Amino acid sequence: MRRVWIGLLVVAVLASVWYGVTRRSPAPPAPGGARGDSAGTGLKAVRLFFASPDGDSLVSETREILEQSNLHERVAALVAELDRGPRGGGVAALPAGTAVLHAYLDEGGGLTLDLSRAFEQGFRGGAMTEYAAVASLVRTLGANLPEVKRVLLVCGGAPLATLGGHVPLDQPFDVSEWL
Amino acid sequence: MAPASGARALIARALRRLGPPLLALATLGVDGRAPRIGETLESAPTREVSGTTCVGANDLARLLRATKFWHPEVRKLILRAGPHRIQLTAEDPFVVVDDGTVALPAPVMPVGGELQVPVALADLLPRDSTLARLVFDPRRRVLVVAPPSGVLGSARVVVQEGRTRLVFEADRPEEVVVVSRARDHFRVRFGGFFSGSLPDALPAAALVQRIRPIGAAAGSAFEMAVSRQATGFRVVRDTRARRVVLEFTREPSSEFTAFAPEGPPGPRDLRVVVLDPGHGGRDAGVTAGGLVEKDLTLALARQLESEIGRRLRVRVVLTRTEDRDVPVEARAEIANRARADLVVSLHFDGFPNAAAGGATAYVPPATYSSAGFTGGAGSLTVLAWREAATRHAVESRALGEAILSSLELRGDGPILLRELLPYPLLGVDAPGLLLECATLTARADRERVGGRAGMAELAETIADGIQAYQRNE
Repeated sequence: MRRVWIGLLVVAVLASVWYGVTRRSPAPPAPGGARGDSAGTGLKAVRLFFASPDGDSLVSETREILEQSNLHERVAALVAELDRGPRGGGVAALPAGTAVLHAYLDEGGGLTLDLSRAFEQGFRGGAMTEYAAVASLVRTLGANLPEVKRVLLVCGGAPLATLGGHVPLDQPFDVSEWL
Repeated sequence: MAPASGARALIARALRRLGPPLLALATLGVDGRAPRIGETLESAPTREVSGTTCVGANDLARLLRATKFWHPEVRKLILRAGPHRIQLTAEDPFVVVDDGTVALPAPVMPVGGELQVPVALADLLPRDSTLARLVFDPRRRVLVVAPPSGVLGSARVVVQEGRTRLVFEADRPEEVVVVSRARDHFRVRFGGFFSGSLPDALPAAALVQRIRPIGAAAGSAFEMAVSRQATGFRVVRDTRARRVVLEFTREPSSEFTAFAPEGPPGPRDLRVVVLDPGHGGRDAGVTAGGLVEKDLTLALARQLESEIGRRLRVRVVLTRTEDRDVPVEARAEIANRARADLVVSLHFDGFPNAAAGGATAYVPPATYSSAGFTGGAGSLTVLAWREAATRHAVESRALGEAILSSLELRGDGPILLRELLPYPLLGVDAPGLLLECATLTARADRERVGGRAGMAELAETIADGIQAYQRNE
């Protein structure tokens, strides 16, 4: 009888030790890297284009932003960074408050970028400003989104012939011509 | 790869002899859209680590447009770019790229808190459209992102038995297009970014007397002056050797294409000049310091009308003579109905930064963006109505250069020429340009054009340019 009690005691001790050990053990690492990658927060360097101070070219700035999961969020994040303005020596080229309403990418790489009304209503300036606004957008999108081949700018869901009467916006811009 | 800055210096040296206006045109560049000679591609510096050329992992991620995931417990850095996954391990020469493993000549080394990756990795990465193609430039010691359109290398000249060959190393030889066949303005456009250099000097016996880079809507373009002794040209696209040969011949040959017919040298036949005062009505344009663009453009157009009428025997037509809205289609129709020989759309610029000033001309690009198609009898290029002005790109550029040179001479610079089809020239079938005469947000420009004699002087200066264009000097 005593042996039985000793045996039960040993079994109970072993069971409790086993329970404690398994409870404290970390989860086994995920096989492969992909799941492990997505568990962390990814940072991505993006290249933003702003107007140069003398207005005759663009200057680029590199920032690290949080990786976005889909195209709309990626485009919106880039435009939001442009709207925040330059941190270096550039000049903000987009009308203040410009934001992305919709971004639609077709199978041929044509991106229709629907911008908020601020893009049209907030525009002030001449051809230099207008050119810089378009160039800043197209070059930033082209430099960071390789799947985008062309960019058509629309505003508030409607086509936009021009921003200030100098640069035609009725046709998409071929990104390769601006890179 | 030859230095791009060398080409820029060469052009600057050549143009310095021609005078300040042309020098300014070349120095300022012709178009801010695409990378041009003197500009740089996206790149990252490299450093030597234990005798191996390396690039920082942060820079590598930036160039590859990759998202970084750092796993400190195993000292691994994962870079994810599109469908690709690159796993770097500290102090390990083996890199996992997608499903395979590649060996670097030296391990990835942590230096100053950042992994340093041997640049040899660039050649071991997958080549597809989802991953940026990286090229190590040993001369500048930088890792460069090759543009999607490829790279155009240096040109060399070979003169042999009455023929002159210009040989370009090109990633995409099939994309070369002869844009203009005129001897004086022989223009060729290549696919890809020009990263090479032009010859320092052309041999005296060469049939090409001058070559210079010009702005293009896509790729890289050059303008050449071809000798009158040349009778034809041909383009050899060698896709296997990745080379383009432009060949010019002195002896007539059926294998060569003839140059475009050339009119007699001398003054251009100008009969109708159309002046388009920008904006009007509800569209005031730029307003700064009490000046309103729509009023200035109308006042300038009237001054210019009388100035041109006094100097040249031409009919001058204005697209508006009062403060009213005129749609762009109506402006084009006025110009086309008048059978304009040239159209000048007058504007004044504005920019958020007061440091920006001077004049800019926007001229139609020397390329057609409309797609051509092949019919039964051969190929036919369809030109959209809106792009009719691009048929006159060479003449428009000559007009732009003449007017900008005149403005520069008067001290109204800096000047800039951009090749972009401007909105007011949509549907216009004539040489023309949009001219931003001055920048109203720049105090110096504002005081000049807003002064008592400012507008009259500006009209004289622009008329000088139009007259120089007419004289065809």
